[in-house]
Amino acid sequence: MSNQPVVLEVKNLKKHFPIKGGVFKTTQGYVKAVDGISFSIKENETFSIVGESGCGKSTAGRTILRLLEPTEGEVWFNGENLYDIKKRAFRKKRKDFQLIFQDPYSSLNPRMTVQELLVEPLLTHDLCSKKEAIEKAKEMVDRVGLSEKHLSRFPHEFSGGQRQRISIARALIVHPKLVILDEAVSALDVSVQSQILNLLIDLQEEFELTYIFISHDLNVVKHLSDRVGVMYLGQMMELAKTDDLYKEPLHPYTKALLSAIPNLSTTEKKERIILQGDVPDPSNPPSGCPFRLRCPAAHDRCVTENPVFQEVKNDHWVACHLYDEK
Amino acid sequence: MESLLELKDVSIDFQSKRKSFNIIKNINLKIDRKMKYGIVGESGSGKSLTSLAVMNLLSDNLSIGQGEIILRTEEEKVLNHLSKKAMRDVRGEDIAMIFQEPMTALDPLYTIEYQIIEVLKYHRKMSKKEMREKAIAMLTSVGISRPEKIMDDYPHQLSGGMRQRVMIAMALITEPKLLIADEPTTALDVTIQAQILDLMNDLTEEHGTSILMITHDLGVILETCDRVAVMYAGQVVEESTVKNVFDNPQHPYTQGLLKSIKTLGDRSEKLYSIPGNVPTPDEYQELGCRFATRCPFAFDKCFSEEPPAFQVGADQTSKCWLHDEEANPNE
Repeated sequence: MSNQPVVLEVKNLKKHFPIKGGVFKTTQGYVKAVDGISFSIKENETFSIVGESGCGKSTAGRTILRLLEPTEGEVWFNGENLYDIKKRAFRKKRKDFQLIFQDPYSSLNPRMTVQELLVEPLLTHDLCSKKEAIEKAKEMVDRVGLSEKHLSRFPHEFSGGQRQRISIARALIVHPKLVILDEAVSALDVSVQSQILNLLIDLQEEFELTYIFISHDLNVVKHLSDRVGVMYLGQMMELAKTDDLYKEPLHPYTKALLSAIPNLSTTEKKERIILQGDVPDPSNPPSGCPFRLRCPAAHDRCVTENPVFQEVKNDHWVACHLYDEK
Repeated sequence: MESLLELKDVSIDFQSKRKSFNIIKNINLKIDRKMKYGIVGESGSGKSLTSLAVMNLLSDNLSIGQGEIILRTEEEKVLNHLSKKAMRDVRGEDIAMIFQEPMTALDPLYTIEYQIIEVLKYHRKMSKKEMREKAIAMLTSVGISRPEKIMDDYPHQLSGGMRQRVMIAMALITEPKLLIADEPTTALDVTIQAQILDLMNDLTEEHGTSILMITHDLGVILETCDRVAVMYAGQVVEESTVKNVFDNPQHPYTQGLLKSIKTLGDRSEKLYSIPGNVPTPDEYQELGCRFATRCPFAFDKCFSEEPPAFQVGADQTSKCWLHDEEANPNE
C-alpha cells in the first residue's frame, strides 16, 4: 500500500463560516469549522477522519468535494487543483467523486423507484443511453446484494441496511474514483453494519476505489482504514497508519479518545483517561492549542502557541508540543 | 431477598383499526436492589417499549396484554394495575427515567431550576429555599462546576453532555429506588459518554439505586451492568450475568452479535455478520422461534414450535431449541 501513487492531496484546507448578526446582518465572527488541515491519500487506500461531533470532519469532506466553497487551501487530485477548475467544468468532474451519507432515510428521494434512483446519475452525467443505464442498474443491484425485483420498489419499502445498499449502488454506478463515506454505517444496527462494511471492502477491491471514511466510531474505523487522521476543533491532531495509531497513540487527545471506547473483554480492565469538560465552542476557540483546556498534559507553551502539525516518526504526524524537540 | 422490580410474563400488543399484533412476548425479568441490569438489543427489538411499560407510559395503541409488573418498595405494587394518580406517585419517587435525547426530554421554555424543582414540588414538602439548595447540591454532585449559573439557564444554552447531567440530576434528586436509563449516552460523543457512565456508576453506588440500562451498545453493558438480558424481536433470548453472556454466550443470536463485534478491528479476518435483517413486528412468525430465519443452526422444530427459555448452567437462560437434547439433531 505504501508505494501506491498519491491521488488526492489536501493542502492547508480552511473553511470558515461567517456568523451574521445584528440589525444589518454584519459578520460578527467566524466559526472555523476546518482550520488548516493537510493530508494526502494514496490510490485504493482507505483514509479515515475521526473526531467528535463538531470537530469539522464532515465539513472537511464536503469542502474537498467542493460542495462547500473553501475559504483557503488547495486540493490536488491527479495533478489538478480542484479549486482552480471553473464551476461549470467541475460539474463534469463530479462523477469521479461520490458521497454516501449517514441517513439512508433522508438521502434517497422517496418518490423515485430504485431503478429511477440508479439510472438518474448515469443519465445526468450523460454516460450511456437509457436502455444501457437500466441494464447497468440491474447489474448494480445484484452486486450490492439486492435483486432485480427490488428495482420497481420505493425506498420506504426497504430497511435501513437495504437502503444503504441502494445508496452505495447509486454512488458506485458511475464508477467514481474517490468515494467519501460520511458516517455511512453509523445509523445501522450492529448485525447489519457488519454486512455493509464487508460489502464496502469487497466493492473497493472490485472497483479500485479510494475511500475517505468519516466516522466517530473508532472500532469501525480500525477495521476499515489504512491510515487515520484524528480531528479536533477543525484541526488535525494526529495522523498515522491505523496499527500505529491504535497501538501507540501519541497525542493526548487520541489517547483519551481510544481509552474511552468501551472495551469488550471481561477479563482485562482498561485504564481509562476521563477528559474533563466539553469540546469548546468553535466560534470562540481557546488560544494556542485547541485541546489545551481539556488536556491532562497542558503546559505554558500550549496557551500561547498552536503546535505545528509535523512528522515525528515514519508516517506518523502529530500536532503537540510534547513531541516538539525545540 | 425479594427483587425490587419483577416482570412476570409481560406481553405488549399493538392495536389499530385495521390490524393488531403482538410486539413483546412473555418477558420475565428480575431486578434486585442495588443491581445494575442491562437490556441490550437492536432497534426494533422492544427494549425501549419494555422500559416504557414499566413506567406505564405506553401510547394508546399499545397495551399490556398480559402479565404483571411488580415493584416492591415498602409495599408491593402491581404497576400495570395502578390508577393514573397512583402511578404518578411512583414516577419520580420510586422510579425515575432518563432518555436518549436530553434536548427533547427537557422543556425548552423553562429554566433548569424550574425543571429540577418541579420534581421536588410534586413529591416533597419543602420550602422554596430548601428546594433551591437541594437542586444546587444535586447539580454539583453530577459534576457541574457552576451550578448557580446553570440554574438560570435554558436547555439550549447547555451542551449535550451538560444536558444529560441535568437529566441525571433531575432523576436522582428524589433518590428513587430504580433509575431507568434509556440509551443515556447514545447521542453523546465517546469522551463525554465515558464521563456520563462514570458519573452514573458513582452516583448510583452512593445512593444505592438500582439501574435498568437500555442500550444497543454491548460495550456500555459490559462497562456498567451486573446482569443482562439480550432481546431480539420482542423477546428475551438470553439472560444471565454479564460475564457469562460475554464469555460464554449460549443463544445463536448473542453469539452472532458478539462475534460480529469482536472481529471488528481484526482486519485479517472477514467481518462476521448475521445474514438478513431484523424483522418488523408484522413479520414475526406465529409459530416457532423468531430468530429461526436468520439462524445458522435452525432445524425443523425451530420453525414449528416456539422454544421455551432453557436453563443452561446455574445462572443462565437461553431461548433456543439447541439446548433441548431430544430436539437437537446434532446431538
